[in-house]
Amino acid sequence: MNDFAEIENELKKLGPAPLSDGFPARLEQAMADQNPRENNIIRPNRLRVNWAAVGFGLAAAAVFVLLARVRMDRTPEQRERIAQNSPVAQTRSTLSDQFIPAGATQVVYDTRDEGLHFANGSEEPIRRVRYQTQETLRWHNPGTGASLRVSYPSEEVVFIPISGQ
Amino acid sequence: MQNVASHEDWRVCFSQVGPGLVLFARQWVRSRADAEDIVQEAFVRFWRRNHNIGNRALLYATVRSIALDLIRRDSRRARREAEALSGSDQVVEPQFELADDAQNALAAAVDRLPHEQREVLVMKVWNELTFAEIASALGISQNTAASRYRYALAALKKSVQPK
Repeated sequence: MNDFAEIENELKKLGPAPLSDGFPARLEQAMADQNPRENNIIRPNRLRVNWAAVGFGLAAAAVFVLLARVRMDRTPEQRERIAQNSPVAQTRSTLSDQFIPAGATQVVYDTRDEGLHFANGSEEPIRRVRYQTQETLRWHNPGTGASLRVSYPSEEVVFIPISGQ
Repeated sequence: MQNVASHEDWRVCFSQVGPGLVLFARQWVRSRADAEDIVQEAFVRFWRRNHNIGNRALLYATVRSIALDLIRRDSRRARREAEALSGSDQVVEPQFELADDAQNALAAAVDRLPHEQREVLVMKVWNELTFAEIASALGISQNTAASRYRYALAALKKSVQPK
């Protein structure tokens, strides 16, 4: 037997206060003033952003910047070597300084559904989901055997449109 | 799929859920008129967007969202109202039809519940939403919705028990 059956019955006996006399008519008038067909145009979903693609793009940009820095940091040293070493040694040195991307991982360690929202006065409801992830990018230098790993936390907020069907 | 409900469907829907929706909206605003405005805006929004009126979770989420928007927008007005109502002779319009002192005490106990418990209670008892619908509207798990409901009932049971 439900322990709370009695209190539930008591609660159900409490009826919500009646609506104002003119409220149903006012509501009907407000709805009549709206023509749903005029507003029934299916607009492109302004809030649909492919966050995965954005995140991947940012990760790729970060890899590019890191690689560029790795190479630029070596440039003065290479120039000195050009002046001091033979061309054969130079070729070997250049090849050995190449860091090659070896992989990237994204681990989602928390997902939080933040409920339905109406963003910026929009009339279309959206569900906001927050993902917390740890992203790791790895590079490997086959010439020297060195490896480089960058790991950082990230957070993504994804807006999922609700069709209302 | 045809999504446009007839005017008659809306009228029937409103007569069924209107009082419960206004009660739901009253959690955020003190006056019945403001609560009715919120419900009206929710219905108009639903009507304009041709949402399915059977989607009650979305309807309640819409009411909640409009109410929270109103609070944010009118925070200064709300503060002034709260200050004005802080006097001892304030009159707050009743949210329930009260028949006797016992019901009066129960309604007061409902009013004292923590907000997150009260909204689940209102949706469950007077609007007869399922825990799945409540969870969807509030963005919480069904277990959380069910436990908030149980905590609310336990608190009410305790508060109305004779000492």
